[in-house]
Amino acid sequence: MKLRILLADDHEIVRRGLCALLQKHEGWEICGEASDGREAVEMAKRLKPDVVIVDIGMPSLNGLDTTRQLMQHDPQFKVIVLTITDSDQVIREALDAGARGFVLKSDAARDLVSAVEALQSKRMFFTPRVNDLVLAGFLDKGHVVARNEPPNLPTLTVREREITQLLAEGKSSKEVASLLNLSTKTVETHRSNIMRKLSLHSIRDLVVYAIKNNIIQIQMPTQMSAPTETTVA
Amino acid sequence: MSHQRVEKFMPVRILLVDDHPIVRQGLRTLLQGRGDWEVVGEASDGVEAVDKVESLRPDVVVLDVTMPRMNGLEACRLIQQKRKNSGPEVLFVTQHDSPQMMREALDAGARGYVVKSNAARDLLEAVESVSQHRIFTALARVPEVPR
Repeated sequence: MKLRILLADDHEIVRRGLCALLQKHEGWEICGEASDGREAVEMAKRLKPDVVIVDIGMPSLNGLDTTRQLMQHDPQFKVIVLTITDSDQVIREALDAGARGFVLKSDAARDLVSAVEALQSKRMFFTPRVNDLVLAGFLDKGHVVARNEPPNLPTLTVREREITQLLAEGKSSKEVASLLNLSTKTVETHRSNIMRKLSLHSIRDLVVYAIKNNIIQIQMPTQMSAPTETTVA
Repeated sequence: MSHQRVEKFMPVRILLVDDHPIVRQGLRTLLQGRGDWEVVGEASDGVEAVDKVESLRPDVVVLDVTMPRMNGLEACRLIQQKRKNSGPEVLFVTQHDSPQMMREALDAGARGYVVKSNAARDLLEAVESVSQHRIFTALARVPEVPR
């Protein structure tokens, strides 16, 4: 029986590249593709894939919260997180969320097949930097790190994190309500609770908070006009 | 015996430039459906891109903006400097969904600008256009109209 893989990335061009890479492996099949975290959770519940590969920076529901929701639904889900950054915070959050694999997007062509093979054999796969962190013992420093508990957001519920992301992405309360099948009043209540819990006073504060805590990701601007000193032969 | 004129088939030669191999693979997959196009090479940064333009002489360079060593805008300017009367057309395929960045890209000499989130929709038409020296631009979000 083929290993069934669900891909979740908001860029179709990346999904195509991942498909081309993974489908070369006999015995694997891509059972579905999702373009955001919410769709990924719905598809995973329905399709029950063997492995889920999630991009960390997706709209509507980011990869880390997607992982948390999947683990909450069924701890047997095997999730590989794809990320453009391997900062300590992101690594910690991915591991705490329950991811069993952590691969840098820039190295996906090299590492992703190994990652899927590892998860297929019930092992975990992390980039060398993550291995260093694990060896340094951050996961076992005399305290238990609870799964599904984002260490930097101890007071926000799963729903509140979802709403934080959507508001930080610029959606109105009405739009958030429509997306989550809630009443606008309920969203407004959540919004007030979020702002109060986090001591925030404006949407701008919320956006800054969301960026700092990897709830949303931003594209760093490229220096546009300054000439480089690189010489080309 | 009558002589028949054989028209030589010349595919459009395309160089792919992006620092993520997985993105280059995705671009290849999109382009491979066209029998009259050929991906002749790949590069992972602007320096390599300029070198490969010299060595491979592509017709179209599909170019990312944000790359190590040399970004796509700088690479595009250098390619245009060396272009003289014949040289590749540059098509940017980038995450930057911004009118300012698009303007900068066109000022750098690009003929096309497509946003990665819509690359699957726009890439083929964009390559078709720029290979025929026509401009093609498509942002994902609609720019706000100033009041």
